[in-house]
Amino acid sequence: MIQSLANWILSFDILAGMGNPVAWGLSLFVVSALIFVFVALNAIVLVYIERKVSAFMQVRLGPMRVGKFGSLQTVADALKLLQKEDIIPQMADKILFVIGPWVILVASVVTFAAIPFSDTLLAANMNIGLFYVVSISSIVVLGIVMAGWASNNKWSLYGAMRSAAQIISYEIPVGITLIAVVAVVGSLNLQTIVIAQGGTGNLFHWIPIPLPNWFVFHDPFLFLAAFIYLTGATAEINRTPFDIPESESELVAGFMTEFSGLRWALFFLSEYANATLVAFLVSIIFLGGWQSPFSTYGGAQVGFSILTLLAIMWTVFVKIKAKRLSIFPVGLSLVITLCAWLFPGFALWLASPGLFWMLLKVASIIFLLMWFRWTFPRLRVDQLMYVSWKVILPISLINLMGVAVWMWLTGEIQF
Amino acid sequence: MSYFNNIVQAISTLIDGMKVTMGYFVRPREYVTLQYPDEVWPVPSRNIGVGELDSYNTIRSKLTVDINDCIGCKACERACPVDCITIDAFRGGPDEDLGTTSNGTKIKLLVTDFTIDMSECMYCDLCVPPCPEDCIVMTPDYQFISNDNLKTDVTPEQRWRDRSLLIYQFSKVSEEERQRRKAEAKAAAAEKAAIMAAKKIAAEKAVAEAAEVNAEPAASASSSGEATETTSLASDSDPQVPSTAPEASNPETKVSYAIPLETIESSAPAEGDSDTPIAEPTESQNSTEDIEEKESENG
Ligand code: SF4
Ligand code: SF4
Repeated sequence: MIQSLANWILSFDILAGMGNPVAWGLSLFVVSALIFVFVALNAIVLVYIERKVSAFMQVRLGPMRVGKFGSLQTVADALKLLQKEDIIPQMADKILFVIGPWVILVASVVTFAAIPFSDTLLAANMNIGLFYVVSISSIVVLGIVMAGWASNNKWSLYGAMRSAAQIISYEIPVGITLIAVVAVVGSLNLQTIVIAQGGTGNLFHWIPIPLPNWFVFHDPFLFLAAFIYLTGATAEINRTPFDIPESESELVAGFMTEFSGLRWALFFLSEYANATLVAFLVSIIFLGGWQSPFSTYGGAQVGFSILTLLAIMWTVFVKIKAKRLSIFPVGLSLVITLCAWLFPGFALWLASPGLFWMLLKVASIIFLLMWFRWTFPRLRVDQLMYVSWKVILPISLINLMGVAVWMWLTGEIQF
Repeated sequence: MSYFNNIVQAISTLIDGMKVTMGYFVRPREYVTLQYPDEVWPVPSRNIGVGELDSYNTIRSKLTVDINDCIGCKACERACPVDCITIDAFRGGPDEDLGTTSNGTKIKLLVTDFTIDMSECMYCDLCVPPCPEDCIVMTPDYQFISNDNLKTDVTPEQRWRDRSLLIYQFSKVSEEERQRRKAEAKAAAAEKAAIMAAKKIAAEKAVAEAAEVNAEPAASASSSGEATETTSLASDSDPQVPSTAPEASNPETKVSYAIPLETIESSAPAEGDSDTPIAEPTESQNSTEDIEEKESENG
């Protein structure tokens, strides 16, 4: 994307004189700025959505007073955080205290360089993309330990140590699950991984239900792997139920205890950047990235018709079971289906890959993460380690072998 | 085997939990949130008060007084354990008609200032029952803040120290009238003090004369020593005096009831004890009234 942007800049007669290196540098700057703006806006929107989702799940209303339905609440909060006094504790290690939050933020923002937003929107098409994302995002733990140690506070240090222990433990099952996917594709390039999931096929190769060729539907082991990856990744980004490094009830705010104002905002920014990154990775690796669920235009029409049928069945079920009418899902799917049948262009658009599908999948995964967060209770430290080493790690190892055996059975690889 | 059971149980309970939260997420809204300034909880209408006073006295919140019914008796001020009620009341002039309360009681004292400091009040309700006119009441109004308060020029720091927004003042009269009454009372008190001082000098003179006339050995004692002696004698011998005894620290008061004793002493030196209760009441009543005047002025 950087090179094509540079080429586009050079295609103007007046700008052509600046030469390729200058144009390349300029587009590099533009792309980095775009990614940063995406991360910042994304955090603001997600904080609002998270507060609303949590409120609805707890029969509350959430923010209501700033803007319509509190929609400007996070903007107001961000402005407040920017104005706040920047406190550095007297006994803190000043240098580490200052750079800690930036290390965390940079580590979580630069990973977006390798994320394919669509078939063309990709900052850097690396052949080691997956490896790059996984390794860079583990640098976050370095920043957390820096921040926790520099604060010179027992809560911060506990939080940082827990975080380090947790991330190191969960890296292993997550890595092994990713290796299973890499074994199927044969490439670490994220773009290649997405392209490999195009088209439609049978569920689990043999069961005759036509489904997109996504890796969740590739075989039962990868189906399981998707959930294992989601669990492990949730632990890696310190989200509830694995948020022991910042567990409010035990450690005040963990490694963030001593931070205020802008530095604290940076932690928040990186937290949501990480959550988004996990959502992107799940959708790229298991849900086909920017691929549309429908490979053809007829597929979109038929697919949405089936969806509408399912929605009608759901409504009837709810009506019988809970004695109330929920028309929203039926209405939405009915409208989309009608549009798909009436306007072929719309059906074509639905069937074509693009940014829309990517963002839709990411949004669903983020919602899933929020759903987890506001449902599950936090694990104890020993339970966390138990889950990592005694449950998830063996399952992911079995999974890896299972995928290999499956591919041999289906003839995808030969010995 | 329990290992696998554990995993299966964990997953099934997690799914159960997710079902619950999703149910709340999609269910038609019955929120528990109250949009506070726009909507408020209804105040419980349960009557916790005394008898039929159910129009107020429901919950104990902001204390208020119906100043038009107040007779300035200060029963509430005395009852308050934290002294957060302060009352200024002055006796009306001889031809002044202060009207009657809604109970029909004739008002004798003009309440110029009735101050309730709600920042000190602990809502104990102890001031309400003693009121003879049922005019001091707890209202169910629990919202002490208002937008008017926010519009004042007071900075938050000042507001913290200066609790003026929580001090409620009631008065039957205008500020000028109040000041005038105060000045009048002060002048009257000063006049009285002057008379007292004159009386005191006269009394001292009388003592000196008596001493001279009797020519007793004790005449060498100073007049002030004599005075204290008589005071102690009075409080020991007379059971009706103690109501005023706490005021003994005030020199004027001391003198005011020292006088009758002096006269008694001079007229019937040793056996006058039986006469004391008869001579006492009129004078001591006067003195208590003086004290009350003083008190109201100080308050
Ligand atoms: S409620 Fe209690 S504290 Fe408050 S003014 Fe009455 S007696 Fe005093
Ligand atoms: S007890 Fe009642 S009448 Fe007496 S001073 Fe207090 S409020 Fe007034």
